[in-house]
Amino acid sequence: MRQKFFDSLVLTMALAVMALIFTPLSVSAAQAPDKITIVAIPDDSAENMREFFGLIARHIEAATGIPTEYVHVENYAATVTALATGRAQLAWFGAVTTAQAYLMMGDELEVVAARDIDKEFISYFIANAEAGIGPVSDLKELAEMAAGKNWTFTFGSKSSTSSHLMPRNFFADQSGKRPEQVFRTVAYSGSHDVVLQKVANGEFHLGGLGQPPYDRASAELQAKAPIIYTTPKFTNYCFATRASLGRETIDQIHAALLGLHESEEGRQALGYLKSEGFVDADISEWMGYVELLKSGVDIGN
Amino acid sequence: MRTQPPITCNVATTHRPPAAPPFSPEGDKRPWGVWAAIFTIAVLLVAAFTAVEWDFSSLTDPDQRRLALGRMWSWMAAFRHPDFSPEFLRHSWALTLQTLSAAVIGTFLAIIAAILLALGSSRAVSVGEENLKGWRRDFPLRRPAALFCSLCRIIQDVLRAVPDFVWAVILVAIIGLGPLTGALALALNITGILAKIYSELWDSVDEKSYEQVRASGAGRLTALFYGIGPLAARSVQSFTLMRAECAIRNAAVIGAVGGGGLGSDIWYQIQFGAWSKVTTLLLFTLALTLSADLVSNFIRRQLRSDSNHPRAVRTGSLFRQLARSYVAVGVALAIVGWSFWFMGWGNNAPPGQERRNFLLPAVELVSGEAWRNISFFERMLQPEIDLAAVGIGDADEVEARRAAGTSVNLFAEYGPLSAWRPAAWRAWEEELSHWFGWRVIKSAAVPLAMALVGTLLGVAAAGLLSYPHSFSFMWESSHFTGESPPWWLKLLRRLQMVIARLTGLISRGVPEVMWAFLFISFFGPGLLAGMMAIAIHSTGVLVRVFSESIDNIPYRRFEQSFSGSRAACFGLVAVPVAWRDWLTYSFFQFEANVRTAVVLGIVGAGGLGFQFSFNFEWFRFEKAATYLMMIIALTIIIDRISRLLRFSRVSR
Repeated sequence: MRQKFFDSLVLTMALAVMALIFTPLSVSAAQAPDKITIVAIPDDSAENMREFFGLIARHIEAATGIPTEYVHVENYAATVTALATGRAQLAWFGAVTTAQAYLMMGDELEVVAARDIDKEFISYFIANAEAGIGPVSDLKELAEMAAGKNWTFTFGSKSSTSSHLMPRNFFADQSGKRPEQVFRTVAYSGSHDVVLQKVANGEFHLGGLGQPPYDRASAELQAKAPIIYTTPKFTNYCFATRASLGRETIDQIHAALLGLHESEEGRQALGYLKSEGFVDADISEWMGYVELLKSGVDIGN
Repeated sequence: MRTQPPITCNVATTHRPPAAPPFSPEGDKRPWGVWAAIFTIAVLLVAAFTAVEWDFSSLTDPDQRRLALGRMWSWMAAFRHPDFSPEFLRHSWALTLQTLSAAVIGTFLAIIAAILLALGSSRAVSVGEENLKGWRRDFPLRRPAALFCSLCRIIQDVLRAVPDFVWAVILVAIIGLGPLTGALALALNITGILAKIYSELWDSVDEKSYEQVRASGAGRLTALFYGIGPLAARSVQSFTLMRAECAIRNAAVIGAVGGGGLGSDIWYQIQFGAWSKVTTLLLFTLALTLSADLVSNFIRRQLRSDSNHPRAVRTGSLFRQLARSYVAVGVALAIVGWSFWFMGWGNNAPPGQERRNFLLPAVELVSGEAWRNISFFERMLQPEIDLAAVGIGDADEVEARRAAGTSVNLFAEYGPLSAWRPAAWRAWEEELSHWFGWRVIKSAAVPLAMALVGTLLGVAAAGLLSYPHSFSFMWESSHFTGESPPWWLKLLRRLQMVIARLTGLISRGVPEVMWAFLFISFFGPGLLAGMMAIAIHSTGVLVRVFSESIDNIPYRRFEQSFSGSRAACFGLVAVPVAWRDWLTYSFFQFEANVRTAVVLGIVGAGGLGFQFSFNFEWFRFEKAATYLMMIIALTIIIDRISRLLRFSRVSR
């Protein structure tokens, strides 16, 4: 009797598992959404992001007539997952996350627009002022200087483009060495702002971060952590969406973003984004990153 | 043998003498188990300090020490100015309510799911009595029911081994963004933890003590309800409340994927160095911890049915006696009810969003549509084992790896016969490192070492602190010492207790991640910082349960052996009586600490957790899956060891 009970339990479990496995997989058809959810990679303080992406959401809602909401997500991977699975319709990605989303979604991913500054983005290498590390003309020089010095280095977030992938990539290209081979510790402090803070207060000798957060910082902080090297230009952030939203909706969002400077909210948001305005963009400009990721580029592990 | 009616739990019991050491057949009275344990711990400690690299330079080098101290002071000084602007206070208050409701919902769902899962994973319930001896007892293929039991155990191991942020990312694909997603991720994780605890506690009830129930014709479930369940109820209740408190105070996953939560906001604000805001949020967390402590103490007190307890209510009308448990259950249900109401219909707007019913996405769980999105994570099912490196699989690939010199050629330099030479081991290790699988296995050393040293330090500190922390020794000691201390001495003792309790509260109320950041500013990122964080946090968690088990000892046990010194009485009577309970709690804490250490790896200690989250966040699912398998394997191994050695014991 008891035996039977448990045998049937096992059978039920097995059936449930089978049912899960064989659920037919299908791609949802194109349709105009009744709501737009915006997500963004978390690379600034929550208050700032809520305020300014909230403004953009209001601008898009006014321009397209579709209810729009910004949801703050605190994990890079979750933003990509949300867009790739249709839980969000519009996403503010960095170059790495764009490429990751492309690898997940293929042609379903559509880049709507990017800022003017995103086409020629730069990163800085900074050093603690008291460490006595002067400006260098290239990173090979830095690697040679660092030999045997036990210096420590910090990137920003692991999934970041301008505070991790590109600085690392330029370093490896120019010096022929991994940062891990040159510095005693290579850490990820979480964000651009903290890289600056930690290098300024001497917790790390050196760090790498993107341009806008450094330019925004106070002169006092900048003096404690001067720039020692500026990287070549690269492509960075963009707004990406799903092709299944339909041509019409995407064009509406595109027009709304390009006309961001026309509304009061939009102008405020642009001020925060350190940009004159949004411009046309196409996924082809990010394909270099897709290739880079596909090539199994060294990401520090 | 003591006779006791097994059906009621209201039995007057004293603490039983410690059970016979594990593995010892009847008649063997030599306490070799203690020495074996000490020896094992010593060996593990040596291993922990040699297998991974500890950087003590900020302690030993005077220059570095001075710098590090300066950094730590400036870090602490940043906490002097909490942000008390009205809008941020409102924001923090909203987060507090959001955290409370999500954590309560998560824990509530987890308790239900865990009981169901534990029915399967408890051998006493799903398999029953067996006359098997030795390895046959643990062989899963002996009966279908036993296979089912092992399956359930693996499910619960996976549930708690997978870090909660991973559940959250997976749930985003299924039910979208919002506070409920965080609550469900938490629920999945806690289900794994509670199901392990329940099944282990149920299994540790001696078969003899419920055999009357079985003999009178009860089935397995009836035996659980009338025999095993009531006998284990006290421990089950204590652990459940402990877990619920834990979920409320530092569940960083609530709010990580949309919606607000204190824990995730602290993480986030730390990343941007907004220390004044972190301070405010910490104060709110501490207040929440304190209230959760008080409420759970209240529930514990109401549910205490042991009439032998020193502070048991013996007088009062029958109505009052019976009402107590209804009051306790009522309070708990009211909190759960409020949480669901708040999440669904209350003024629950997380910052920047509009108020709405956040429970609605749950409908998608049953609609079936949403489950398709899970195929997004399909690649997690194909872990990268990198067999080509060890010469298995596609011949071309193996050849390519060999040509590139990145395959394992174990005996290239030293044959197996030179095992006596240390150089041979080093060379073998180097060869093995070409294999990804070996690197994965090796990365487990970091969390293990961190958790081991951290737990040992935490247990030692909690043991010492539980003397001033104990209510019976500091507040009510005159009940068994016979002395009548002057008012100032009484005051002094009570002051000691308050200070000890505050210390405990702060060290467990401040999330581990916070402690980790504090020590990172001192020691730099690495093992040492993570270990210290774990030690401090464990001290806080353990001192509470340690002194609770001291306070549960009837005073007459102290009375008969009291010889003038309270401290001696504590050390020679109270601690030995509570020792088995302490061991149980400590081992559970060690198990939890290994998982914490995996998570702390993300903060900068490196090792398994760092590698896993790194690969997961870069969507290198195949590699992430291999590291995840290692995390799961670690959980399973520790769990099976604890079951084998019967670390858990039901205390009543």
